[in-house]
Amino acid sequence: MSIQIIKQGIMDTLQDKGRYGFQHMGIPPCGYLDNLSAQLANVIVGNPKDAPIFELHFPASSFVFNEAQTICISGANFVPVLNDKSVAMNTAMHVCKNDTLHFMQPLLGKTCYLAIKGNIDSSSWLNSKSDFISQIKTNDQFNIIPWDADNKKNSNLSYEKIESSLINNIQKHIFNSNEIRFIPGPQWNDLNTESISNILKQPFYTSLNSNRMGYKLKGPSLQLMEEKTYLSSAVTRGTMQLLPNGELIVLMANHQTIGGYANIGQIILVDLPKLVQHKSDTLFHLNLTNVATAHSEYKQMQQWFS
Amino acid sequence: MSKLFSNFNWKVQALGDHAIQFYLPAMMDPRVIGEIKNFNDFIVLEEIKGIKDIIPSYHSLTLIYDIEQIDEPIVFANNLIGKYKGQGEVELPNKEVNKIIEVPVCYDENFGIDLINMSSKLNLSITEIIKIHTQNIYQVYCLGFMPGFAYMGEVSSKIQFPRHHQTRQNVSAGSVGIAGAQTGIYPMHSPGGWQIIGRTPVKIFDKNPAILSKFKMGDQIKFYPIPRAEFDSLNQNEL
Repeated sequence: MSIQIIKQGIMDTLQDKGRYGFQHMGIPPCGYLDNLSAQLANVIVGNPKDAPIFELHFPASSFVFNEAQTICISGANFVPVLNDKSVAMNTAMHVCKNDTLHFMQPLLGKTCYLAIKGNIDSSSWLNSKSDFISQIKTNDQFNIIPWDADNKKNSNLSYEKIESSLINNIQKHIFNSNEIRFIPGPQWNDLNTESISNILKQPFYTSLNSNRMGYKLKGPSLQLMEEKTYLSSAVTRGTMQLLPNGELIVLMANHQTIGGYANIGQIILVDLPKLVQHKSDTLFHLNLTNVATAHSEYKQMQQWFS
Repeated sequence: MSKLFSNFNWKVQALGDHAIQFYLPAMMDPRVIGEIKNFNDFIVLEEIKGIKDIIPSYHSLTLIYDIEQIDEPIVFANNLIGKYKGQGEVELPNKEVNKIIEVPVCYDENFGIDLINMSSKLNLSITEIIKIHTQNIYQVYCLGFMPGFAYMGEVSSKIQFPRHHQTRQNVSAGSVGIAGAQTGIYPMHSPGGWQIIGRTPVKIFDKNPAILSKFKMGDQIKFYPIPRAEFDSLNQNEL
């Protein structure tokens, strides 16, 4: 069983849950940008939730299936078309030999996931197949390996068992919210009062200049009480760095492991998919939250997939 | 063997919902680095379930944790500090503490592309710059920026030089640079703003999982000059 790329997109990659345990050497963790959509697609086809998956951006790659397969498309809606027929998202779909899959237009969101039932065969480096240098290219071919008995017990979920209300909840959480929550960081109190009020009251939108390393936010200009330099320390997924020009950048999966800009907060993990999917033409607000709330929502959402 | 001192006043803060940062007063100081390294080694030996990454830096140590395995991060962190301090002065197994890693550098002007400019601005001959750069033993403060990039210090005030205002598009793998009081080596071709004074033939980062980064935080490094011919015969980096 295999799948082939007919035509490559602009920045499509293979991703899994990422590469941990090596950040002290400066190795970025990588992994899904929108873990909720990726996990949802995996679970719908009956994969373990953290299985490798194709992560697509628009204009996205086109694929041909060399054998019959079960697939699911989740996340951003790029109007998927199977052999010229529009197909549904967030549902398991059977495809036949020689079927082709194209994505027509970026209707909603920015990052789309294509899950295929089985394990996508690709070289693993430091316990992860997430690639932070190269994208998938025209003519690349990936074998799809059926899960062995060991893995089956982790993948006993099938789409029949996922209630549609749950899928709706996940979709609503990611795409219908204009509130993105964060926990104040080490340099939050170095912001001047006007900036603190601006962050919490003024709307933001994502810059077109955003990628897997970081999303730049456009909004009110922010300033520290006084110009300051900081000794670099570790940053993480969701860290909000204030650049010297007053712009905010939110670090994403391929982020550098340490940073020396003011760390004014971190977006909580359950809200990062919202930011990932926000196009630059929609506004959102940044609101404060706390660790206890973030943990309880994270655990609740992970329960959906187990 | 290295001694574990407990007179440092560790503080802790949550870094969002999946990281904890321990920190000491913000200064570049070998004693602070020594303490960070001790705390780092202590946590590594504890083999705590749910800790995904342990990231030391100049004055901080950050743990990335799994939300499903660690419940009350601040309570957890304070207990960890308590346990560490409770040991008092304990000998930690650390065989490599006094080992100095010697790194050959070719300071040829074709490699050290900023040497001529630095020489005129600093009012020092290139020979003097090389002599001063190879005199100190540098300590690795942290790794970051890219896989294997080690920030080292402290560079003698005589040859400290600010970064370029405009980042160069392509700095060659193995390039040795200076930025203020810090020195470092680019492990691979990349954009970069440091003042480039030479190039090492040694591979600084190897994708082979058994090798990876040549340096780690706390390592001691000494550079020594080699002629171009020796560089050519030793070179392991992509040209």
